Amino acid sequence: MIGSTSLELNGLSVRFGGLQALDQLSFSLQQGEIFGLIGPNGAGKTTLFNVITGLTAATSGEVRWQGKTTAGLRPDQLCNLGIARTFQNLRVFSDLSCIDNLQIAMGCNDRRTALELLAIMDLQEKGTHIAGSLAYGEQRRLELVRALATKPQLLLLDEPAAGMNPVEKQKLQVLLNTIRKQFQLTILIIEHHVPLMMKLCDRLAVLNFGRCIAIGSPQEVQEDPLVIEAYLGRGA
Amino acid sequence: MFDISLFVLMLLGALLALAVYLPLRAGQLSLATPGFYTIGGTVAALLSTTVPELGGNEQTYPLTSVFLELMLAIPLVALLAFLIGKPVLKLKGIYLAIATIALVEILRVVLLSSPWFGAAVGIFAIPQPFEGPEGYAAAFAVLLGITAWGCQRLETEPLGREMAAIRNDELAARCMGVNSERVKLIAFVLSAIIAAAAGVLAAHFFNSWSARQASFDASITTLAFVVLGGSRTWLGPVIGGLVLTALPELLRPIGDLRLIVFGLVILLGPIFIPQGLIQQKRS
Repeated sequence: MIGSTSLELNGLSVRFGGLQALDQLSFSLQQGEIFGLIGPNGAGKTTLFNVITGLTAATSGEVRWQGKTTAGLRPDQLCNLGIARTFQNLRVFSDLSCIDNLQIAMGCNDRRTALELLAIMDLQEKGTHIAGSLAYGEQRRLELVRALATKPQLLLLDEPAAGMNPVEKQKLQVLLNTIRKQFQLTILIIEHHVPLMMKLCDRLAVLNFGRCIAIGSPQEVQEDPLVIEAYLGRGA
Repeated sequence: MFDISLFVLMLLGALLALAVYLPLRAGQLSLATPGFYTIGGTVAALLSTTVPELGGNEQTYPLTSVFLELMLAIPLVALLAFLIGKPVLKLKGIYLAIATIALVEILRVVLLSSPWFGAAVGIFAIPQPFEGPEGYAAAFAVLLGITAWGCQRLETEPLGREMAAIRNDELAARCMGVNSERVKLIAFVLSAIIAAAAGVLAAHFFNSWSARQASFDASITTLAFVVLGGSRTWLGPVIGGLVLTALPELLRPIGDLRLIVFGLVILLGPIFIPQGLIQQKRS
């Protein structure tokens, strides 16, 4: 399953006025892998997601998706090309029913498929419920399955475990592995919960001040002195 | 003693309210409705008073000619709304509202200062396709019926859901594959078409037509319809349009104070009934 390159960053930089949000990022994702992004707050992780999904334009460098540059493409076009995401702050369509949330993402009227998708997340009972009335954890799952409803090949998850208790985090890990196989996904995931990332990810990249300071398997990254410094500060 | 002319005005109010409702359904506050309404009416007024061939041989103005006016006014206004909407809809929230107020104002000044369109006096003696208000009531009812049917269909169509998604969270909608620019433009053009069609019928009904139709007051009035009725389903604006058109006529003694009534509705409505009279059923 893991094989050819799906997403490729070439010297990607984003500058907001005086702030260098992303600085010369270059790495690529292999098809089928779960790739983790970690780093302190403000390291540029969400900015990277925004560039990949077309919400923010790169200042220089480029993102290549399946061999083609994504410069100039709108978020809806990138979504139709197979890139879907969730958001750090929940962004379900809170006035609409769960089924409507999914049908918008699917772009068609298909209640049966919508209900099947909801069942993956154990939300099949909630189909006609208004999304905003669901419990927090349910809304997180709804947002995840809404992203799946766009039939993505690459799924970007922005802190999916935020606000979850240890049991829910354990379940999330199982769930992500399941959907990766079922939907043949490549997953790029931002998450602060390092133990979860160690278990979940095939590879990790560590960002600090917009720069990629380490990349490799969870074990390699864990032992990298630059990473320890970024998280714990310089040793005495 | 039910006044059928008042009923016609109420139906007209409901139609204009639906024209305000459509962009609002996609989260866009456009106050351009009176502008497109005025253009529709001006097309009808000009054609029916200057093209003798449209008059026919009968006593009353032929319905086929009204239909022809519609067939001309609708594409014209749709094209205009498309050209205007493309840049203007890049604005968000209150900025869009201000820009659309400006559009109506520009139109009003253009009509006022141009003798072709009757200048300040307006266009008079617009021929009548119906002998009495009953015919107009029927015509407006048909137009309202078609519009309401279309709005009802939106509730279950992908387009209607995309509009609702944009109203909820435009950024998330775009990331879920919704081409928000396109959807907003469609809503804007559909709204303009409804307003223009209402204008064509209204020009005949009022018998005269002038730049006064395109006023800031009219923008606020039509907005008040939707604020009172609610913008969650199409029934809200319809009820709002019917009630708020009838109200000042029933309270005729207060005269021009009706504008204060509208102001109060806009002010107090969001405080006491934030979702409007007709609220969405929740499961």
